[in-house]
Amino acid sequence: MCSAELFLNATCVASSEELKIYKKRSFEAQRQSTQHAAMASAESSGEQASSGPTGTYEVVYIKDNVSVHPSPLANERISGRLKLIKQGQSVFLTWIPYNQSGIADDSGLILSPSEGAPVTPPQAPGRKDKDRNLYTIRAVSLSEIRSIRRHTPTLGWNYIIVVLTTGLAFPPLYFHNGGVKEFLGVLKEHALLVRSAEDANVYLVNDIQDPLQRSLTSLDLPEAVTPVRELEPLEEERVSAQEGPDEGGSALQPLVVSRRGPEGGVLDRLPQKHVDPLRDASIHILTQFSKVTRFVRDATTQLSGQNDRPLARSGMLGLPERAPVPPPVAPAVQRQPSAGLGEALPGRGAGDAGAGSRMEEDKDEPELSSLGAFELVDGLEEESPALVWGRPRPPPLGAEEWATFLDSEGRVSDPAGLRKRVFHGGVEPDMRREVWKFLLGYFPYESTRAERKALQANKAKEYEVLKGQWQSVSEDQAKKFAKFRERKSRVDKDVVRTDRTLPFYAGDDNPNVEALRSILITYSFYNFDLGYCQGMSDLLSPILYVMDDEVDAFWCFAALMERMASNFHRDQNGMHSQLLSLRKLVKLLDPPLDDYFRQVDCLNYFFCFRWILIHFKREFEYDNVLRLWEVLWSRYLSDHFHLYVCVAVLKRHRRKIMDEQMEFDTLLKFINDLSGRIELEGTLRDAEALCRYAGDAGVACMPPAPPPTDETQIEGPEG
Amino acid sequence: MSYAYLFKYIIIGDTGVGKSCLLLQFTDKRFQPVHDLTIGVEFGARMINIENKAIKLQIWDTAGQESFRSITRSYYRGAAGALLVYDITRRETFNHLASWLEDARQHANSNMTIMLIGNKSDLQHRRAVSTEEGEQFAKENGLIFMETSAKTAHNVEEAFINTAGSIYKKIEDGVFDVSNESYGIKVGYGSGGGAGAGLGRSDAQASRSACCS
Repeated sequence: MCSAELFLNATCVASSEELKIYKKRSFEAQRQSTQHAAMASAESSGEQASSGPTGTYEVVYIKDNVSVHPSPLANERISGRLKLIKQGQSVFLTWIPYNQSGIADDSGLILSPSEGAPVTPPQAPGRKDKDRNLYTIRAVSLSEIRSIRRHTPTLGWNYIIVVLTTGLAFPPLYFHNGGVKEFLGVLKEHALLVRSAEDANVYLVNDIQDPLQRSLTSLDLPEAVTPVRELEPLEEERVSAQEGPDEGGSALQPLVVSRRGPEGGVLDRLPQKHVDPLRDASIHILTQFSKVTRFVRDATTQLSGQNDRPLARSGMLGLPERAPVPPPVAPAVQRQPSAGLGEALPGRGAGDAGAGSRMEEDKDEPELSSLGAFELVDGLEEESPALVWGRPRPPPLGAEEWATFLDSEGRVSDPAGLRKRVFHGGVEPDMRREVWKFLLGYFPYESTRAERKALQANKAKEYEVLKGQWQSVSEDQAKKFAKFRERKSRVDKDVVRTDRTLPFYAGDDNPNVEALRSILITYSFYNFDLGYCQGMSDLLSPILYVMDDEVDAFWCFAALMERMASNFHRDQNGMHSQLLSLRKLVKLLDPPLDDYFRQVDCLNYFFCFRWILIHFKREFEYDNVLRLWEVLWSRYLSDHFHLYVCVAVLKRHRRKIMDEQMEFDTLLKFINDLSGRIELEGTLRDAEALCRYAGDAGVACMPPAPPPTDETQIEGPEG
Repeated sequence: MSYAYLFKYIIIGDTGVGKSCLLLQFTDKRFQPVHDLTIGVEFGARMINIENKAIKLQIWDTAGQESFRSITRSYYRGAAGALLVYDITRRETFNHLASWLEDARQHANSNMTIMLIGNKSDLQHRRAVSTEEGEQFAKENGLIFMETSAKTAHNVEEAFINTAGSIYKKIEDGVFDVSNESYGIKVGYGSGGGAGAGLGRSDAQASRSACCS
């Protein structure tokens, strides 16, 4: 158990919702309740040192009336309590908002939801309640904080902005009763606090004592847009609160409190100590993205697909595809020289803290309108402050919610809303069999239940006919039918080499392997020009696994192939055009990395070949492949979202790639070895941020619609 | 573990001839009938000894399907050795050798050592290509030849090690400028090798993890 977990377990700066999250964790219930009781007494007895089975902690700093200002409106301010808590060698920063009755939620409310009233009435979660949960900062280790920037506006309250090593920043914390200096003073006692050479208001935080280690560790910093993990439980809370206290949330992800980065080491999260314009790129993306998330975070059920290009009016608009794409981040960096350490701009609320002109801008902004929020993003010129905030992903779509998408006759009344929902949260495993048929296009969204039943019956007959075509080829006929023999033998060879370690496909004479074979051979007759190509069995395997029905799987696979056939064209034109698009995207979203790949002659992006050919099938555990694919198939933000996923993964490893000066061989091996080590949810969030940020400039990078299959695409003989 | 040289190998040949199984037998000394087909490229590595010098073989196992060739060709770059594999039970895999060889000659460096391998020698009852035909093809094209069985491990060690021996001899004969990595050879630490002048980065890593951590 890492120290952060220990801390949370032992101290639980808890609201009732937080407790609910803790309950989801796999700790023994008995032990937990003992600890919570111990904590409760500790908290109520003045928050001094406490000892429990998992260690002691000490509140070393406490400050009331520290507020977040989600908007310029005074009545939307959220007040809370800022604390520094020491456990062992680690110090954690927390900011817990007060609850509605004005009592700090961390003052010993140690009741589980079933035992006491939740802070937020589940029936009517107000905007502010959601925000309160959203903005909560719990147990951020100082080792995860890169810098703290002090702002002392001439008018209004002083505030600080905490920037994490991941590049993410928390919204500004306003000290309504003053005391920023004292806070920094206390912080200095517990962490190495260095004033930035570039900006005297920026304090670099580092609790690692060994300077050598410190300098070494900056090498492995994940560079990409890495949203704060704390948000995941927050989102869970929000959802739980809406669904009522009885929601045990068993389907929800466990609370992520481990502070370890995707690379799995302490080394990954240590502060970056140098001005790094590359890092600023990420920060800036986050800054932009946060403006989007301001409304998106509430919008899971509110928005339809009309805003697919929220950043369409960003500074990169209107670039002709062939024109050199200017690095999107450079202008921002120039305009914000003080942002050299990845400092975020102050929150939007800064407007009411006294900056008059900003306030005007903010006033003009339709506060609760999603479009308004997007408008704010418009242009990189825009100096208006922004929250920097990662977007939590909601839990997967379940049966009850799915039912709400269907009208009385079973039509999907809001396909765009459904696609959006799937994009953000995926689908629960039990629901995939039904929902995937729509996502893939086998079932039309506008079809009624009765129509679908008829469709399935027809498709079953059609499949039998197609299957009969090759099954009825006699031995004599086959002898004179080389193409058929060759295809059949290739499929035969490959189905026994496809996911055989999965129980579903394991063992001799497995009927599922036989179904895989039948579908692939049938498909090569159904689409004779395309035929069979390696990679198809990888794409079919999860579909058959989910459908668990040969006919449905065939038609879903055929529908998928409508979108992916060009991956398997003999001349590889589909693959090459996607690799080219990826290159353009990296150039757009990470110019230094693009430069690097150019230097080492890797612009063909062949190292991403497998990712693209079979949509990361070999890179993730099976369950995660299912999740990733439904997100891709939702085609919510982009028909080519997988390319943004590629960029997101590359961005996470960009520093390592460049620092180690990987060349074609080493790069290819490195990328191959990432298999099984890519964290999905974070990567998806990064990809979403990148996609939104790229906007129309990203669209311009995308491959052209695949041309209709013609003779040049026809698969040829093997040799 | 330190090594005197690192050799990059590629394994090429039609799909299903047993390329991945040969690699696994060589690196892990096991035969795995159930494995996923190769998409793109996979990697393996093993240390061997040639004349008391430690040699690290880094082996690239490529996808065999024809339509991936435009991608596979890029892997030839900088390979010191190639195993060109066919399946003795499937005539067509033998018939395609010329086309593979042409690819290799065109896209690899001209000094690349090529070992022709007739795999699945355990399936004598299904043999469709005679040993003599294999020998003949090898002779005509200047290749080393061997029949192997990835299943029984017959000749697998020999195939990889003889290839390395041939490369090593070329180094001793001065055929390669070992400081030029495009030949697929890198000079490592220790074991009487060079001073590390040509040490590749990936192997700097490998050495580091092996001896310093």
